[in-house]
Amino acid sequence: MPTVPVITQSFDELVTSIAYKKGIPGMRMVFTPHPVTDRPPDICRRYIEGKDPVSGKPMIDVIVSGLTQPVAAEDKQTGLIARPPRPRLLEPMTAEKLDQYFLDNDYTDGFPIVLPTEEKVAAMLKATSHRPDEMVGKMRPSDPHEAWEYTVEMVAVNAVMAGAKPEYFPAILAMASTGVTSLFSSTSSFARMAVFNGPIAKEIKMNSGIGAMGPFSHANSTIGRAWTLISKNLGGSGKPGETYLGSQGTPLNFSNICFPEAESELPKGWSPLHVQKGFKPSDSVVSLFSGWSLNNVAWFSSMPIHDVIRGWLEHFFSTSVSQATFILDPIVAKDIAAAGFATKEAYADYLVKNTGTPAWLYWQTRQNELKKAKEGVEPFAGYLKLGDNGVIPVSRFGRGRGKNRSGIEIIVTGGSTNAYWFGGDFSHVTSSSIDKWR
Amino acid sequence: MKIRIACCLVVALVVTSFTPKPSPAANDAKITVLNPRGILPPIQRIPMAERLNSLEGKTIYIIDTKFARTRDFVETLHEVLQEKFPKTTWILRDKRGNYQVDDPDLWKEIKAKGHGVIMGIGH
Repeated sequence: MPTVPVITQSFDELVTSIAYKKGIPGMRMVFTPHPVTDRPPDICRRYIEGKDPVSGKPMIDVIVSGLTQPVAAEDKQTGLIARPPRPRLLEPMTAEKLDQYFLDNDYTDGFPIVLPTEEKVAAMLKATSHRPDEMVGKMRPSDPHEAWEYTVEMVAVNAVMAGAKPEYFPAILAMASTGVTSLFSSTSSFARMAVFNGPIAKEIKMNSGIGAMGPFSHANSTIGRAWTLISKNLGGSGKPGETYLGSQGTPLNFSNICFPEAESELPKGWSPLHVQKGFKPSDSVVSLFSGWSLNNVAWFSSMPIHDVIRGWLEHFFSTSVSQATFILDPIVAKDIAAAGFATKEAYADYLVKNTGTPAWLYWQTRQNELKKAKEGVEPFAGYLKLGDNGVIPVSRFGRGRGKNRSGIEIIVTGGSTNAYWFGGDFSHVTSSSIDKWR
Repeated sequence: MKIRIACCLVVALVVTSFTPKPSPAANDAKITVLNPRGILPPIQRIPMAERLNSLEGKTIYIIDTKFARTRDFVETLHEVLQEKFPKTTWILRDKRGNYQVDDPDLWKEIKAKGHGVIMGIGH
């Protein structure tokens, strides 16, 4: 069927690349100025009756020729398109030239890397029982993109580049095996988080104490960095405009909020995250999260801390998201437990049941309910009487997946120097065994 | 004082003399490193469909992929095409679900009743 897609100008490089990778390198495309969201009909008409900003030809002519101009012989071909060969070893060069080569070819995150010599990669490979040529997984920048595959040795190369020690390698392999990219390509700038549980954290000296989420632990920093290098080099992400589209990007992508839970500091009765996800306490596990941002809060008032968090969730967490993750300092966790919340789940349930939706947000997304409210239908009519500053008693949370029905995750980490907590829009993606990769 | 300065200079000279310096040859040595990139999948070519001789008398579907807040654009595109090509039937249809959801029933309908497709739009 003759088809022409209409695309906004900003995505020229993206769609050209995807058309090629999907096997239609000659796909006819029509471009319009960017953006078209929220543009009124008169502006849309001007765009449509104007020129395609990529070809420079009238947009209507490009549509018509896309549907009617005969297809070239080349575009009728079948078979495979050859890809550039992938040699296992790069051409020998001096260290200085290799550093520049890695930068020029976008193999790094912009920081200096450790060159992956055969000796260093071999040392990394000794830290796992898995064969170097064993396939670990597939990764892609986001759903429309092609997936790249990678072996244990390829993961080791990137682990070396990140500066990781061999003893970290099973943890890095576990992350790579999930196929979850840390550089998700969307026009919003996703961030990722990796939380470690079980004996691995002590074994490799990860930091769950003072500054757990900061740059104060070689293991936390380099494991997180390895995830980004893997996402670029093995998952095909990270080329702005083509395989990365985050409009502003996020500094969290450098080493991807990477820390262990402070299991020894959990209040009595509170399960570690990996146990909540179905693993045994003695298992070593990495759990991956996806989101955008975190707020770091401490508010000293006569209000108990569990209600400060509830208020924050209700009033400040007002965009359309329906999931949340709290990262509590042990002081905060212990205060919440002392207030009667015997488990993490009990506190998450409390938050779901006691966080309504600010009225302005509720009505914005519920036109049918607004109509009913104006006709006097309850409970909507009652909600409308609460006014714009009211809180509608309908939680935006409680739509979690699997065992976590609340959609709210709670993690404990930090050094107990102050009653701070992080709240943000992160949600759990998957948890993966590290022991499997030892 | 002069003796102390002289002693310091001698010590500095001795230390400098015995500090190993990288030889030019070491800096120029070539080393071999492993390729950090993963394995690219093969690309199977998809031949493009034959195009139409003309739009006259044909039915062309305009598919709205329903990206948020872009309805005005697809509706205006429909209007402009109807104005400029009145002998063509232009059908504006919504794809099922959001822009990420497939709609095999619609594709089936288009194959049965249509001659061409314009697909739009995001952002």
